[in-house]
Amino acid sequence: MQQSIWRGIKLVFCKELTIGMRFKAAWAAMFMFALTTLACVSMAMQGGAVEPRLLAALLWVSLFFAAMAGADRVFADEDTAGTLLTLHIFGPAQAVLLGKMLYTLFLLVLLALFITPLFLVLMDVAVAAPLVLLGTVLLGCFGIAAAGTLIAALTTGASVHSGLFSILMLPIILPVFLPAISLTAGAFGGGAVTVSYLGGMALYDFILLVGASILFDYLWYED
Amino acid sequence: MITIKFEAVTQSFYGRTIFQDINAKLRSGTITAVTGQNGSGKSTLLKLAAHFMLPAAGRVSVVEDARELRREELRNRLAMVTPELRFYPRLTARENLAFLLGLRGIELTETKFQALLARVGLRDQAVATTVTGEFSTGMRQRLKLAALLAAEADIWLLDEPGANLDAAGRELVLREARQAADEGRLVLWATNDEREEAAADAAIHLAGH
Amino acid sequence: MIQARILPWLIGVLTAVLIYLVFFVVPPAQGLGDYVRIAFFHIPMAWVSVLAFLMSAWWGARYLRRQEMEADRLSAASAKLGLVFVVLATLSGAIFSKLTWGAYWNWDPRQTTIFVLLLIYGAYLTLRAAMPEPRRRARVTAVYALFSFLTVPFLVFIIPRLYFSLHPSPVINGSGSLDMDPVMLGTLLAGLIDATLLYVWLVWRSVGRGDKEALS
Repeated sequence: MQQSIWRGIKLVFCKELTIGMRFKAAWAAMFMFALTTLACVSMAMQGGAVEPRLLAALLWVSLFFAAMAGADRVFADEDTAGTLLTLHIFGPAQAVLLGKMLYTLFLLVLLALFITPLFLVLMDVAVAAPLVLLGTVLLGCFGIAAAGTLIAALTTGASVHSGLFSILMLPIILPVFLPAISLTAGAFGGGAVTVSYLGGMALYDFILLVGASILFDYLWYED
Repeated sequence: MITIKFEAVTQSFYGRTIFQDINAKLRSGTITAVTGQNGSGKSTLLKLAAHFMLPAAGRVSVVEDARELRREELRNRLAMVTPELRFYPRLTARENLAFLLGLRGIELTETKFQALLARVGLRDQAVATTVTGEFSTGMRQRLKLAALLAAEADIWLLDEPGANLDAAGRELVLREARQAADEGRLVLWATNDEREEAAADAAIHLAGH
Repeated sequence: MIQARILPWLIGVLTAVLIYLVFFVVPPAQGLGDYVRIAFFHIPMAWVSVLAFLMSAWWGARYLRRQEMEADRLSAASAKLGLVFVVLATLSGAIFSKLTWGAYWNWDPRQTTIFVLLLIYGAYLTLRAAMPEPRRRARVTAVYALFSFLTVPFLVFIIPRLYFSLHPSPVINGSGSLDMDPVMLGTLLAGLIDATLLYVWLVWRSVGRGDKEALS
């Protein structure tokens, strides 16, 4: 049983990746959106000295909105292609959810690895604690992937699409967002780094993962 | 031995009644035809059998050896051909089948794949390596049949499986459905074709409202 | 249905008593003066906002277990009332804040919490409005209510560490002791009971009306 779940997760992940590689427009849109957000922020600041706290907030706002542009597609794409029913018939819930979550995480980590260094260069930020920054970004991506995959499944079949995903995401992701900003500010040299926040983020990420996993069964198998 | 039971089943959407008080018992090893005009709820009945939706009233249950199957168990035991079923347009026929069957824990070897294509009459060599987005409607329908045959499912839910197929294709569907029933599968078949209707062992007629 | 008729009377009487207590009996508090009277409406409203969220998630879970549309209607009714109460609580809190501390908003932990709650209610009701099919709407919103409930431990335990608080903590303080004037405590309890009854009655009423609509 365990083995078949892993196999299923791998299959879903590889399928997403294959389709993603053949449909480069989606990737291009996501990365260009991130670049545009970054450019806006950077140009608005005009290279002026900015407080670490504000810098941290700017980085996370850029990351969050770039992620919102990419993460909501995992189920919406199936819905538009009409393949959702096919996946319903053949796919066990957990393999579908976790496979898609893994793919979203993969996308978000790539996106964060693209945005963060660019942000550091454009805003001329000196990082005092690089490992804290890395840990925070990874845990942030994990949280967004865990919550985003379930929320993306919720919004399929909605009559209004634009914005709905972000509206539903924000309250749930705040517990990741707020400590992430605190930690990032610390990593940028603005005050002490409270390492226990990293533990808090990891714990909340885990709660989101378990919650999504339990609730997804109801979405996938009920009527 | 699997039985699908419809007990006083009524279905409605947005207050409009589709059908009322349907009672039926379908058994493994038989083909049951679902007939009725367009909009009489044939597809809805199939979705109810698959537990893809809940009835407005009444009860649909799938029982195996006196034990009712849970939704997730049932999902694993059925295969479906419906017009709403779509393949991933950016994946090839082989990738599509390998993915979908893999999710059911069935491995698709090259020989198995080739045999399958031959069985549903997709003999053209290019088929295996073409993305399904470039398939004709008829080719896609045949690929759906291939997925159905390879899924090794105990319950077959067929919604107009002969649609978009030529005479040879329709013949193929009839033959395969008969064979499936003889092998002990439960076949539920929504159709408007008299010949297909005649091939069934039992029928549910939806009068429409 | 006898209760249905008694309940509004009971609420009416209790509200009258509460208004009398708040404006004529309760003494001005030290440091807060007469403004403290707002708190007797503010705290019960905040309480009902949280209670309504809890109940909405509870009925959501019930829907997922039993697929009864009744549970979905209760969940929705609770969320709609919750939104009204959370708005009232936020506004009364902001006014109280302006009068006593000089600013409407300062991201105090409880302000943050109530704001997140406001966002959740808003998101839940937007999701409801965007889902045309009743069964799917019921299922999807139930899942969202439960999923957003995961933020509760964070709102209760983490936010207070992230932000410095100005909130007076006479009732919910760390020491567990109640250092409050007995008259004030009694009035506050009356307010809490009154608001809870009002919530129960309104949820009940809105669901009852739904039944009649379905019948006609």
